[in-house]
Amino acid sequence: MHTMWKGSISFGLVNIPVKMFSATEDKDIRFRHLHKDCGTPIKYSKTCPHCEREVQMNEIVKGYEYEPGRFVVISDEDIDAITPETRKTIEILDFVSLDQIDPIYFDKTYFLSPNETGDKAYVLLREAMQRTGKIAIAKITIRSKESLAAVRLYQNCIVMETIFYPDEVRPVEQVPGLPTQLAVSEAEMNMAVQLIENLATDFDASKYNDDYRHKLLDLIHAKVEGEQVQEAPEIPRAVKVVDLMAALQASLEATKTAKEQEQAMQGEKEPVKKRRRKATIS
Amino acid sequence: MRDDFELEIEGKVVHITNPKKALWPELEIHKLDYIRYLIEMAPYILPYTTNRLLTTIRFPNGIHGKSFYQKNVPEHAPEWLQVYSYRDTNYIVASNLPTLVWLGNQASLELHVTFNLINQPSQPTELVFDLDPTDVEDYSLVLETSCRIKEILDSLGLYSQPKTSGATGIQIYLPIATRYSYEETRQLNKFIAQYIEGKYPHLVTLERLVKNRGTKLYFDYLQHWEGKTLPAPYSARARTAASVSAPVTWEEVYQGFHPTDFTLRNMKERIDKMGDLFSTITTEKKEQSLDELLNFIKIHA
Repeated sequence: MHTMWKGSISFGLVNIPVKMFSATEDKDIRFRHLHKDCGTPIKYSKTCPHCEREVQMNEIVKGYEYEPGRFVVISDEDIDAITPETRKTIEILDFVSLDQIDPIYFDKTYFLSPNETGDKAYVLLREAMQRTGKIAIAKITIRSKESLAAVRLYQNCIVMETIFYPDEVRPVEQVPGLPTQLAVSEAEMNMAVQLIENLATDFDASKYNDDYRHKLLDLIHAKVEGEQVQEAPEIPRAVKVVDLMAALQASLEATKTAKEQEQAMQGEKEPVKKRRRKATIS
Repeated sequence: MRDDFELEIEGKVVHITNPKKALWPELEIHKLDYIRYLIEMAPYILPYTTNRLLTTIRFPNGIHGKSFYQKNVPEHAPEWLQVYSYRDTNYIVASNLPTLVWLGNQASLELHVTFNLINQPSQPTELVFDLDPTDVEDYSLVLETSCRIKEILDSLGLYSQPKTSGATGIQIYLPIATRYSYEETRQLNKFIAQYIEGKYPHLVTLERLVKNRGTKLYFDYLQHWEGKTLPAPYSARARTAASVSAPVTWEEVYQGFHPTDFTLRNMKERIDKMGDLFSTITTEKKEQSLDELLNFIKIHA
């Protein structure tokens, strides 16, 4: 696992140095875009339509379009100047009960492990949270964005979930066509409740597979096996050109020699007919 | 007063403003010195810039000040300037001495021109190989690659004339009969570029992304195209050393030099001694045929 961030959990007067890792990974199958005609992977280039040329990363700055076609440039220095000071800390604000936070608020999950000398303080926080059953609400800045986070336990690891600020969660009133109370018969209701109870079980994550991904993988394997393979042609590369150059030089040389011979022949009074050996390709 | 004065050249009056403005401050080259250079060198600059679209880079406050590209003729320009409209831009054409002097007064320190003449926009007058080192400190790589290219060109019976870019690169010019399209010259340019990359992969790359080039030399075969430009021969560059884009002999390339050897200060003396090395491209142009090469590439590559 690769460390995404290093900082510390600030908890009262205690600072716990921690390293952060992404807790989840996206297993989507990625496709590459190929040119339909020849199967070569498409290349994307960033170009400036004004200068009519490709631009490099170091030539690109960020601009905010405050009205159409008009920008203010925001530099990294500008961003640094206003980045909150809590930059390197997970600053614990309150302890609450997990069931008070609706899952809609959860965004991304990160594992936290103790860094350097933080072992003892890490264990202390972990055991205290275990005993009280409480989770912490904290403030964190990742990549210049200040987020709210929940710090809680997952098995024997302290994890942090970034959570949305309330104004980032859209109000339900905005969902179109939500029915209010409609009359349903008691019989229908009983049937629905019974159906739910029949399907009720304990949550076991290992039961669930991404069927679509598996089917897609099968399809890919089948195509590879069956050699329905679209091979990207070699981008016309030098090796071939190196060989061709010799042929080109030989061809030019032959033309030159032929011309010289022609001139020489014209110089002679009675041109002697010679059978010139022809190069044959067999 | 800032010592402004008027200069009458070939019947045209050019206002010279702020002649003591230091354009290359380290070498104490003032605007008047630069204008003097342009006047002395005009017989060698003009043959190439005449009838070509000009893009200049202006440095009103010298090489360390703000600079800007100028394609469009400015509003206050004198009426006698030759202007040519091409794709919605009114380009200046540097076809005579008064224009060069006027450009000098504008602090147009770099003169970049197209590969083609204005009346034949899709047919370049020469085939050019543009070599640019990724590691600007290592000039020997450019020299070595140039020598390898020279050998190839010789083996193909092609005459070529190198010139420094004035900055960090070398450009190799092959005068050709003006009847080939840019598509055709690119085929040949690409063929040779790929050959050089294939034969000398430790020296040369065709990689467009700077970050993937390593320390290899970038063979920019895409630079040779309609609308693109290179510094005109003998054009100054906005560099501390006041280096110019200088035609050099192949012997000099083999012996080695540094681009800062050729400057505003010594070009006139060099021309007096060696003559105009670019005349085989300009006044006594060799009209080389590419027919046989292009045919071969068309069939085989």
